[in-house]
Amino acid sequence: MAKSSNSGPDMPVQDNESIEVFGARVHNLKNIDISIPKNKLVVITGISGSGKSSLAFDTIYSEGQRRYMETFGAYARQFIGDMERPDVDKITGLSPVISIEQKTTNKNPRSTVGTVTEIYDFLRLLFARIGEAYSYNTGKKMVKWSEEEIVENIFQKYNGKKIALLAPLVRGRKGHYRELFEDVRKKGFLKVRVDGEVMDINPKMQVDRYVIHDIELVVDRLQVTDELKPRLSQSVQQTLKLGKDLMFLLVDLTPNPSPKERGLKDPGRKKTSQKTESEVLFFGEDLGEVKQYSRLLMCEDTGISYEEPSPNAFSFNSPYGACPVCKGLGTKHHINMEAVIADPSLSISEGGIAPLGQERDAWVYRQAQ
Amino acid sequence: MLYGNEEGQQEDLDFENMKFDPQAPFEGVVNMLQRWFASPYSETIREWTEDYMIMRPCDGCHGARLKKESLWFKVNGRNIADLSNMNLDNLAAWFDGIELMLENKQRTIAKDVLKEIRERLQFLLDVGLTYLTLYRPSKTLSGGESQRIRLATQIGSQLQGITYILDEPSIGLHQRDNHRLIDALKNLRDIGNSVLVVEHDKDIMLAADHLIDIGPKAGFHGGRIVAEGAPAELLKLDTLTSGYLNGHHKIAVPKERRKGNGKFLELTGATGNNLQNVGAKFPLGKFICVTGVSGSGKSTFINETLYPILSKHAYGSKMTPLEYKSVKGLEHIDKVIEIDQSPIGRTPRSNPATYCGFFTEIRTLFASIPEAKIRGYTAGRFSFNVKSGRCEVCEGGGMRVIEMNFLPDVYVHCEKCNGKRYNRETLEIRYKGKSIADVLEMTVEEAVEFFQNVPYLYRKIKVLEEVGLGYITLGQSAVTLSGGEAQRVKLSTELSKRDTGKTFYILDEPTTGLHFEDIQHLLDVLNKLVDRGNTVLVIEHNMDVIKVADHIIDLGPEGGDGGGRILFEGTPEELVKNKESYTAEFLLLEL
Repeated sequence: MAKSSNSGPDMPVQDNESIEVFGARVHNLKNIDISIPKNKLVVITGISGSGKSSLAFDTIYSEGQRRYMETFGAYARQFIGDMERPDVDKITGLSPVISIEQKTTNKNPRSTVGTVTEIYDFLRLLFARIGEAYSYNTGKKMVKWSEEEIVENIFQKYNGKKIALLAPLVRGRKGHYRELFEDVRKKGFLKVRVDGEVMDINPKMQVDRYVIHDIELVVDRLQVTDELKPRLSQSVQQTLKLGKDLMFLLVDLTPNPSPKERGLKDPGRKKTSQKTESEVLFFGEDLGEVKQYSRLLMCEDTGISYEEPSPNAFSFNSPYGACPVCKGLGTKHHINMEAVIADPSLSISEGGIAPLGQERDAWVYRQAQ
Repeated sequence: MLYGNEEGQQEDLDFENMKFDPQAPFEGVVNMLQRWFASPYSETIREWTEDYMIMRPCDGCHGARLKKESLWFKVNGRNIADLSNMNLDNLAAWFDGIELMLENKQRTIAKDVLKEIRERLQFLLDVGLTYLTLYRPSKTLSGGESQRIRLATQIGSQLQGITYILDEPSIGLHQRDNHRLIDALKNLRDIGNSVLVVEHDKDIMLAADHLIDIGPKAGFHGGRIVAEGAPAELLKLDTLTSGYLNGHHKIAVPKERRKGNGKFLELTGATGNNLQNVGAKFPLGKFICVTGVSGSGKSTFINETLYPILSKHAYGSKMTPLEYKSVKGLEHIDKVIEIDQSPIGRTPRSNPATYCGFFTEIRTLFASIPEAKIRGYTAGRFSFNVKSGRCEVCEGGGMRVIEMNFLPDVYVHCEKCNGKRYNRETLEIRYKGKSIADVLEMTVEEAVEFFQNVPYLYRKIKVLEEVGLGYITLGQSAVTLSGGEAQRVKLSTELSKRDTGKTFYILDEPTTGLHFEDIQHLLDVLNKLVDRGNTVLVIEHNMDVIKVADHIIDLGPEGGDGGGRILFEGTPEELVKNKESYTAEFLLLEL
């Protein structure tokens, strides 16, 4: 992108239709003058070594480059490197020059046709924006919900039913979680669901530390009605916050939901006790339907979730997207057994294991014996 | 032994003296290699372990390059790796109908992105790169391919008022795809740019608006403008180039094809890259030409399968050929030589004389002059690379760099030796009136005459002249040689060695950078090799070379997935009868 300058004080006005080269003497050029028409397809030919490249690259291109470099200050130029002035009297009418050479200097294994043409960059964007996620466990489509969508969905599906909103705190981990219970108790929550069983939070409560637990916090229990819609919306918001973008919904599936809503005092015994309607709702282990909602992409069957896709996640040159095994190269060095045991008929001491060579007094051989 | 003690004996191979010492844990050879490979301490050790390694698709992603989560994001049922592994033709087709498959919302979001992708794809297709995939690593692209990608990108940028300079964009392009390239160049011009192309291809020359012919000969005999103007006008003139363009000069089609020596090299079941389980018979003692459109698998078949097999056979090299089933007839070959266009040296101190090895002999010759003997000069005295004979001010470079700090460095002739590279005492030794510095400044042509009476030198320098390099000087720095020139220097080195008569030469596109006249020279040299009983295999698109070959192996019919088959084996006369081959179509025009 060289700067064109055809209006110097000592130059006659040039017609803008051609690049004029005067007195080119680079390499073997014999002080030639030539006029090259602009906006035309011009072919330079001649036998090998006749000076074609000297004219095209070493004179015209190099002068164009040099003039472009001149536009930088002397300070900047010292970093860019130097441009030699081609041996030519004058070139006029030069427009910015771009050379398209044949060099394949890019030896980087991360550079591909997709990246150099930038098609891959657009493809990444495309997948990040309209790609549909599928679960790698089940192959099913992943879903994600916004707060409004969750509220709307609950409202439509469970209108008139009693529900509880649960925020998952611990998923499949061991521990006694004393501090956790204490913490949520102090925040004013009354109930938790431990391994599928809802119970009150007592002071100094803890669970078996050597068993894997799932713990959810019961954020709210309510009946889905029109009046309670604002409350539902607020609770959903809070649940998602506590559950880190994930929430469970426990629904009472009994046909005639009881309008009353009351807490129970002794959850420990409820499993065996005669169940009331509300007990079924809040304390049943298998009864009732658990529905998961997530603000992230999530597999509804297995609960795995993906992060929100960004173009980065599809780049094999970014740690967010690259395969962790090969770091995005697609290939990996493996030991080549054929090269290690080049000739299976040889014994070890005869050099059967090629990297070791023939038997000699070396540590590996002493170890082997 | 291989995996170490803890895992026990995993290999069932019969090692008689395999005894484990149960006390000391033994690391195992495999683990040892892996540890050394990963160790950052020694480059040498790493390279050594690499000999026992093989590159295979990664176990984690099977070549898809991305983590599994990313691969489960799909657009219209395809993930990003699926798309990136499609060739561009299929990819463009996939994108064609994509809108109908999207939901309204997606369509709105994707609108601009799709437009960009389609445009870029179209530019790539326009320059004939239909067979590439987006995951194809840049380093495996040929020079011509990467140039065409850059060309496509430039057309895409839609800039105006630029002067584009291209160096032989037609390299590596089959005749079939040539018109696509010409259209691309014209497109670049039509949006308002000047396009300057250095080119030898007839079609491109004829498609030009303005043609400049530089010459008439090479080097000292060149550098003048022989003719310029519209191609139609140039055709009327009587110059070397015009002669070939209007058909007055022609590379002659040989009247008779060689019979060969009746022996064959037979390769079967090659399946590397896109090759579809192909096999071919290479008749020995013939001039073989492998053809096919770009991406049809020529290089995979020859450079990555055949050459490593031969190299392993002839030199016991550790190269690993791509998969193949069997090879027969290796016993008829005892040497294989591959001649490519990579530069002969990257240092300015390397030159044709040192590369071809006859500089040592010139130095010995100078050391044997009586005057040199009296002074006790040895051959080392006449080297510009070691202390004693060279000029110490420029250290034998002949040039001095004067650093101007923030201004560009200035190169000046060394003031001590005046660019002669040697000190005064050394230059006093003269052979036939010429000092060693004068010899380095001779062109090959002059040197041939000068050393006429020194047979071993004459023979070697003569070969340089025969390959058409008469115009370069013996001391010309290797970095100033073009790819074509470098290839011919290598060719001449091989020619000057004693051939065994059972040698197999492989050349990949030797006509790159060659004018019609140069091609004639090259063919003469190659024919000479074949006449001595050797086999020459050339991968080539140039019809002038194809038509003079004794035996043609044509791959195709298309590039990428549409190729990888052998369409034809036989003489050019038989090839033109083939209906499926694109090469045949164009060859018909030449014969």
